Amino acid sequence: MGTRHRPPVRRLLYAVLAFGALALAGCSTLPASTLDTYGDHARRIHELLVPIAWMALAVFLVVEGALIYTVLRYRRRAAGTMPRQVHGNTNVEIMWTIAPALIVVVVSVLTFRTQAANSQMPADALKIHAIGHQWWFEFRYPEQGIDGADLVTASDMYIPVGRPVTVQLEAADVMHNFWVPKLAGKTYMIPGKTNYLTFTAEQPGIYRAVCAEFCGEAHALMRFRVIALEPAEYDSWVAQHRVAPVIGGGGVLGGDPNRGKELFLNARKLCITCHVIEGTGAKGIIGPNLSYYGSRQTIAAGIMPYSPENLERWLKHGYEIKPGNLMSRVLTRDWIAANLTDQDIKDLVAYLDSMKVNVALPPAR
Amino acid sequence: MAHSSHPGRIGTANVGSLGVDSRKLGVWTFIGSEALFFAALITTYLVFAPVNMARADAQNPKEYLDIWLTSVLAALLLASSLTMVLALAAVRRGDMKLFRVWLLATVGLGFSFLGGQVYEFTELYHHGATLSSSLFGTTFFVLTGFHGTHVLIGAIWLLSVFFKVQRYPDSPETVMDVELGGLYWHFVDLVWVVIFTVIYLI
Amino acid sequence: MAIAQGHVGHVSAPPATTVPAGLAGWLSTVDHKRIGIIYMLAAFVFFIIGGIEALLMRVQLGTPENTFLTPDFYNQLFTMHGTTMIFLAVMPMNVGLGNYVVPLMIGARDMAFPRLNAMSVWLFILGGLMLYFSFFAGGAPNVGWFAYAPLTQKPYSPTFGVDYWILGLLLTGVASIAGALNFIVTILNMRAPGLSLNRMPLFVWMQLIVGFILVFAFPALTVAQIELLFDRHFGTRFFVPSQGGDAVLWQHLFWFFGHPEVYILILPVMGIVSETLPTFSRKPIFGYAFVAFSGVAIGFLGFLVWAHHMFGVGLGPLANAFFAGASFLIAVPTGVKIFNWIATMYDGALSLTTSMLYSIGFIAMFIIGGLSGITLASPPVDLQQTDSYYVVAHLHYVLFGGSILGLFAGVFYWFPKVTGRMLDERLGKVQFWLMMISFNVTFFPMHIIGTDGMPRRIYTYESGMGWDLWNLVATVGAFLMAASVLLFLWNLMVSLRRGAPAGNDPWDAATLEWSVSSPPPPHNFDQIPVVHSRRPLWDHKYPEHAGDGHGASAPDPLVAGFEQPAIHLPSPTYHPLILGVGLTTLFFGILYSSIPPLSISLAVVGLALVAFAIVGWVRDSHKDSPYAAH
Ligand code: HEM
Ligand SMILES: [Cu+2]
Ligand SMILES: [Cu+2]
Repeated sequence: MGTRHRPPVRRLLYAVLAFGALALAGCSTLPASTLDTYGDHARRIHELLVPIAWMALAVFLVVEGALIYTVLRYRRRAAGTMPRQVHGNTNVEIMWTIAPALIVVVVSVLTFRTQAANSQMPADALKIHAIGHQWWFEFRYPEQGIDGADLVTASDMYIPVGRPVTVQLEAADVMHNFWVPKLAGKTYMIPGKTNYLTFTAEQPGIYRAVCAEFCGEAHALMRFRVIALEPAEYDSWVAQHRVAPVIGGGGVLGGDPNRGKELFLNARKLCITCHVIEGTGAKGIIGPNLSYYGSRQTIAAGIMPYSPENLERWLKHGYEIKPGNLMSRVLTRDWIAANLTDQDIKDLVAYLDSMKVNVALPPAR
Repeated sequence: MAHSSHPGRIGTANVGSLGVDSRKLGVWTFIGSEALFFAALITTYLVFAPVNMARADAQNPKEYLDIWLTSVLAALLLASSLTMVLALAAVRRGDMKLFRVWLLATVGLGFSFLGGQVYEFTELYHHGATLSSSLFGTTFFVLTGFHGTHVLIGAIWLLSVFFKVQRYPDSPETVMDVELGGLYWHFVDLVWVVIFTVIYLI
Repeated sequence: MAIAQGHVGHVSAPPATTVPAGLAGWLSTVDHKRIGIIYMLAAFVFFIIGGIEALLMRVQLGTPENTFLTPDFYNQLFTMHGTTMIFLAVMPMNVGLGNYVVPLMIGARDMAFPRLNAMSVWLFILGGLMLYFSFFAGGAPNVGWFAYAPLTQKPYSPTFGVDYWILGLLLTGVASIAGALNFIVTILNMRAPGLSLNRMPLFVWMQLIVGFILVFAFPALTVAQIELLFDRHFGTRFFVPSQGGDAVLWQHLFWFFGHPEVYILILPVMGIVSETLPTFSRKPIFGYAFVAFSGVAIGFLGFLVWAHHMFGVGLGPLANAFFAGASFLIAVPTGVKIFNWIATMYDGALSLTTSMLYSIGFIAMFIIGGLSGITLASPPVDLQQTDSYYVVAHLHYVLFGGSILGLFAGVFYWFPKVTGRMLDERLGKVQFWLMMISFNVTFFPMHIIGTDGMPRRIYTYESGMGWDLWNLVATVGAFLMAASVLLFLWNLMVSLRRGAPAGNDPWDAATLEWSVSSPPPPHNFDQIPVVHSRRPLWDHKYPEHAGDGHGASAPDPLVAGFEQPAIHLPSPTYHPLILGVGLTTLFFGILYSSIPPLSISLAVVGLALVAFAIVGWVRDSHKDSPYAAH
């Protein structure tokens, strides 16, 4: 009886294995895959996951196999069969208490080793201050600023390759969660508490990142990018960023950047209540710092690729693009209709687009 | 089997398979749950005590609380535990007159405690300690307020026992009714001892 | 069957308690069987509602950048879906089955506190209704089922949704604690003579453990919710970080409750399959003591692992290591149970009824959920998997693949006892296979998209992340699951009317509930049986296969060997229901504290109702005292 049923069992196992392998292989090059790592923190986690996953697969096959075997083997006994009334077997039971305990000990040891490695914080690490806001990320570089002020940016976090980075995580309003799947595991940003996360990018690249903790209406649209540059390139980025931006190049979309700048700095147009642009009168600190906005990778915290056209859309229809965001709650549709002409918006776009940092960007991973 | 002499029966006043009255078992279980309730509240208080002191708007409990007043209150509550014991002893003896006296005394002491607490709260409010004035205010009023609410519930419980005994003088459950009310009352007193120690003494 | 019924002649006639007919009879009932049925029906309705919420979410996520739902409505849906499934579907379903079956299994005529039992069921339903009322009162809660601080504070959540969440759940919390207390006392104190703890059916064991977990875990949630309520209404600052409050404290309190809660959801189901597997294998459970004590171990360890939900919070490597260790440890008793179940089937004479299929399905799926739990218990790995769809997959494998499949096993098993009719087996099996396949189609891909970086609780996602296909697959699977549930509903309605008559003991089972008629008489047992072993009915039917493996063969358990107590059932009463309504009204008063006239009048009415109910309740309890003169 038993032999007759073995082939289907085996076929099932092959199917599971094949499916698992396919699934894992399929993942590896996707933009946010945790199995395609470029940072030491994420890599060590992956290296820990692999043996655990193999053990889990083994346990899965053995236990599900035993289950399916038992069911198939004993499902058709003659009606009225009275099986032997076995009540238990202490030795066997002790054995199968010890077996999972041993597996668990192995997993624990592996886990604690990785944990120790991943919680190192070298003193010479680059320090970056990341602050979660509803619904965007702010990055401050305390060691790169001038005259005691931080170098500040938003939505794009630039780091050097090969040097450990310690990110100091905080939150301005509610809880957020800092997650760059290809570089490091996630860590909460908690108001009233400071967390640290140290990792090293091992290859240059532009990496996807998100807020991973539900933080309100537009949580799904709270993303950012980590841009890991070769050290020399990174130093050049810092050096350029330390200098206040100036208008460079002509206007896009037929806008006039100089008029855009005037509009931006006109208190009646409200931009300066919330935004900073270094070296100008824009000193609002509620929204993201917009210095060198023309070099951003994305608009509105990672939800649209940066382009003058998208920027124009954002300024016109922010509410539709990112529901609930603070800017559109203040600059309502009516307010914009009454205070900004289409040409004004084109001029503003031309101004913001004119401030660029010149670095060679790595590939998106 | 030892149990076979205790047939299961439904309803109240039931000595069942464990050899304990079901209601008593129920009240003990309830007290277990209540103990965790207060453990969580007291933990909250302890977590915030140092945070409060480290803040610019700190309110130092030592400056706000009147240890003498609360000592008197604690004494009232402890005395009520004693009268509760006396009430139970009296009802066990069948001395209904003394029972009434001691039970009402217990309730009276409970209400005096509550009165004292109301006085303490109003004083604190006048001195600027409120639910929102500081972490001390937040944690203090919620913890002691919920304890006060439990004293009130205990007092109502005892009153209901009192009226039940008045209404059904011959009920065979009277002793157990009193014992259960008393059990809860002692628990509430005991919680006060812990709170008193945590807030006022340490 | 002739068993217990044969003794009717020896005792006084069944009790003459007058039960009002129709709806009034249900509203005033104190019969554990009727209360169990109310629990189960209400839980099933909430299960359907939670399922509809899930379908809406799956439609929204079926394609990238979908605009089927608004973000805020989506956020309300996932909050209500989680809260509903946990507090209003699975928990009360467990309680309902327990309510119905436990007294029958232990040879009791009712729960220890029948009126408290009635109060619990009404408070659960009223709490659920109050929570759902939020949809019509400015918007449902939209902060997730664990409602992390400080998003729940007024400035970030200005609607009444969070208040409904707090107060509705506080009501169900009171119901749960009262219910748990009732189970504990019933099980410890109402057992038939001879039914010692180590002879109790394992379902009863698990209900007992759950009772203790509930009584000790719920207060933490209650305190957290009260503190949050005070923050929102009375100006305190427990969870307001800008004023020194502590957002992490909320998580500690919540998960101190929350992890034990997952065992509250799964242990009764483990109890169910510990009944069905032996019955349908015609063997005793393998290693009774191991199964019982691993339940105790799980219950105990469950209180020591809460911070494995908080590895990303930054508690420090040492704390994380401790909670990881404890979490790994808890895998051991869980594994033991699985081995024991398989060994129970081994060498058995299996009959693959629908109930049995669901029990096997439960084991098969729970293994997967357990294994994904192991990876999550490893803090470094957790940091990649937490808050991603991997967690969504994990929790559905244990809560759906575990609890819900096991509950189906229990429903197919006990439906004949409750209604006197069999559920249709053919429909049942079709439904089972549809469910198994669609469940895996829906939730297995979530492991993959989680590993591929898809965060949870997002109402939309961009294309090109490699998530599109799997999300669509999951959505299709969800609709197939819905079809399976509809099939069950159909089965339920058809079988209620035309199902084959069940008889006392359709499965040839071993425990006492099968010794009485289906449905059982109001007083359950004409004669309280005397129990001599773990399988009283089995030993009665198969004396030659009796005993519990230690040699001694027992006397016939179903022959009473002692003076029978008079049958005495408590009379129906509305006071528990009135108490529930009063408390709910009072809670509405608290909720609208910002509108004093409304608030005060609601509170006054509520308190008056409560006072009225308590007075009546005391009178009821006096009237029903077994000692009272009639
Ligand atoms: C016409 C004047 C303004 C201009 C040109 C402007 C420009 C921008 C731009 C380009 C972004 C996207 C930044 C990014 O990619 O992350 C943005 C986002 C934002 N702005 Fe403004 N802004 C203006 C006025 C304001 C005002 C008055 C406020 C404050 C009430 C404000 C608050 C914000 C906030 C909070 C965000 C982040 C939105 C989110 O992603 O959730 N802005 N603004
Ligand atoms: Cu978020
Ligand atoms: Cu947990």
